[in-house]
Amino acid sequence: MDENLLILKKSFPGRASQIDQLWNFFGTTREPFPPTLYISGGSSTGKSSIISALLKALSIKHAMINLVECYTSKILFESILNQLSGHEIDPKIGAPFARCDNLMDFVEHIQKMSLAGSVIVIDKAEELRNMEFNLLPGFLTLQELTNVQISVIFLSEIAFEKYYYKLNILEPFKLHFPQYTKDELLEILALDFDYLENVSTSCDRDFYRNYLNVFLSVFYRACRDLSELRHMSRKNFIVYCEPIDKNQLTVHDSMALWKHISPIFTASMQVLYLRTSNDSSKPLAQNLELPFYTKYLLIAAYLASYNSAKDDKRLFTKYHGKKTKTRKDVNRKNKVSDKLNTQMGPTTFTLDRLLAIFYSILEDKVGFNNHLLVQVSSLVELQLLSLASDPSTLDDRKYKCNVNFETIQSVSRMVGFNIRKYLSDFSHM
Amino acid sequence: MSGDSLLSIRNYLKNKIFNNQVYLGNEKQRNRVLELLQRTAEQGESNSMLLIGPKGSGKTKLVNSVLKDLQANQKTFNDDCIIVKLHGLLHTNDRLALKSITFQMNLDNAVDGKVFGSFAENLAFLLACLKTGEKHTSKSVIFILEEFDLFCGHHNQTLLYNLFDISQSAQAPICVLGITCRIDVIQLLEKRVKSRFSHRQMFLYPGPEENSEISDLDFALDRLKYYLEIPLSEKNLAKTSSTVKKKWNTSIQTLLNDKKFKNIIQRLTDLELNENILKLILAKCVFALNNKNQILTVQQFEKELNLLEKDDMVKILQDLSFLELCLIVAMKHQCDIYDNNPMNFEMIFTRYVKFANKHSSMQSVQRPVVMKAFEHIEKLELISMIGHQGKKEYRFFKLLVTPHQISEAISRSSGVPTEIVQWSNSSLA
Repeated sequence: MDENLLILKKSFPGRASQIDQLWNFFGTTREPFPPTLYISGGSSTGKSSIISALLKALSIKHAMINLVECYTSKILFESILNQLSGHEIDPKIGAPFARCDNLMDFVEHIQKMSLAGSVIVIDKAEELRNMEFNLLPGFLTLQELTNVQISVIFLSEIAFEKYYYKLNILEPFKLHFPQYTKDELLEILALDFDYLENVSTSCDRDFYRNYLNVFLSVFYRACRDLSELRHMSRKNFIVYCEPIDKNQLTVHDSMALWKHISPIFTASMQVLYLRTSNDSSKPLAQNLELPFYTKYLLIAAYLASYNSAKDDKRLFTKYHGKKTKTRKDVNRKNKVSDKLNTQMGPTTFTLDRLLAIFYSILEDKVGFNNHLLVQVSSLVELQLLSLASDPSTLDDRKYKCNVNFETIQSVSRMVGFNIRKYLSDFSHM
Repeated sequence: MSGDSLLSIRNYLKNKIFNNQVYLGNEKQRNRVLELLQRTAEQGESNSMLLIGPKGSGKTKLVNSVLKDLQANQKTFNDDCIIVKLHGLLHTNDRLALKSITFQMNLDNAVDGKVFGSFAENLAFLLACLKTGEKHTSKSVIFILEEFDLFCGHHNQTLLYNLFDISQSAQAPICVLGITCRIDVIQLLEKRVKSRFSHRQMFLYPGPEENSEISDLDFALDRLKYYLEIPLSEKNLAKTSSTVKKKWNTSIQTLLNDKKFKNIIQRLTDLELNENILKLILAKCVFALNNKNQILTVQQFEKELNLLEKDDMVKILQDLSFLELCLIVAMKHQCDIYDNNPMNFEMIFTRYVKFANKHSSMQSVQRPVVMKAFEHIEKLELISMIGHQGKKEYRFFKLLVTPHQISEAISRSSGVPTEIVQWSNSSLA
């Protein structure tokens, strides 16, 4: 057994079978490598890090390319050549190793450089589909085009079948990196212990594992992304240790610690992936401090956007006359959630309609003046409304409401207004 | 068997699989190509021909082996003619193609003095070079156009028009040999180009030759035998003793005669007859040879075939977190109920919230987090957006995975909460 292989397996827990497979492919540098290899797997499953660690350990000449950085073929070709030739860009001149505009030049350079046994790694390979048409098939058949034994490894999050769009392209070797299981995640996160800062001396490895167990039981359902979980676990561990640091609890009071941490876990579940600090995570409505009438304007705008104009009479006038129930109305009441207005997105409305609804839902009388009209444009400025008509004309302006139902509900709660009563989606309930 | 001899055998096999230049089978077709090129080279006949066949049917290999034969057998061949190889993926427009032609015909010396500004001048020069030749005195030129169909996309098909035009008139003798996998390639040619083409087409199919008695299975086994067996007189393996070779060959023979193994290969040939797929599986098994497993086993082939048959989408679905899985199940139900009509995030979110409220064990997750999960699903291309207008919540999309794949993924992955399993199996949403 090779020593490198053991080191690799040790530094990447839970990836033994993938490393074994890669070792089979690339382990003996004297023998030919597979011409193309497609590695799929979710984010932070160790695709790039394992590949680069492996290639480094075996000291195989390679180029690591991320297609997010190399967004045109010229940059892509030149950076591959730079890396393969070991060329370092002099900041004063900034010239690449070779100028290379198209695949033909690229292939010529590869042929000149004696690159047998080297590897090109292309990360975010799904971007290849959006680039020139010849790049994807070109890289898939690079050995045939160049007659040089050079391998290409593609890393991507999506399945290979998503690439069959036009050409019948050559099938590469495939390897899938599955997402880590709960136990594997625990192992990997436990490695963090050595890197933790400000840890009180009283905690040991087992204590940290217990914490992770508790942590994963909450978070594993919503998230399997290692880097996000690591971020969250580190952030919350400090809070978890607080009572111990203050000498209120000891490391053995696991129940009390759980009671202390569980509301905090719930709170940080709400900001998963968002990377916001906890205090600014209050919903938009509470951060938004609008004047009283402006709030009503916003509500009116929401109502105008999510009710159809023909329901206005029924919803907003007191004496709308007797409406005979038709078969259609009965049917509409029975429908559960088919095409609710609130689910179909905002529709446009005119300023007249907005003001009419505004005056209808507002109980006290307010004069129609400049101040009110200015509020409309300031709502547009705040992106709470958006202009849906040509901005160059002043007449017949049309608007759309950008606020979602939850926000508008809390805004209306603040002013004591029952919004459900005025939405045709809910008014029949 | 000692480790060293195994290594050398493995190396030999890998080389044989990846760098094989020997063309097998289809003698009739091969002879026709050989004859055609010979006539061009020796008698100065102009010709054009298309070689059509699916990927992996050995078109390029056939042409290369013919050229190799000609170069080896006839000393005058190299003096008599020039070979110009063009590839549709490399020479993506006529300018690049011309550049490459000038280079390959060693005309760049002639060009050296003049600087060609435009494409037209370059073409005129090249044409003049070709036209001045007479039928019997000048060298013949063999043009080999790989991925011929891509040349049809060039502006006005200028290159093809001129090549075919020369091949029709009594100028310098040239032979145009197009290689393509598109069966409808003739239809891509413009009328004036088509009328100059000789309409000599040859089709190559993978698998056993037409009218032969060999079954697909025997054909595949034959190929496997060719790739795996080691000829005793092999030069590259001179160091390995013949007893080791014999031992290896007998192990291969027993493998090929195994009934179970035949069944596996039958399964493969039922899927696809492409030689590339066969090589893919073979290579993976050869890569797995090491000191622990010294011979190829039936189990190995079976494992690789199972991997090949596995659905990649199911693997991707298995990697989802439970929150994302919930969303996918919600989408599946939405599809069922509304007959595959497009849906938007808002509808799915309502469906999800309804489900989460019913089951107290599901932790409630806030809207932004659900949105993130939704975006992740979109990134994995499990859904595809229709249209790009409006806010993300209201944009319509379609589900790209089948209900079957979803239920398979759920039943295969372990630890999925029972309520999700029940929800996905229930016909009532």
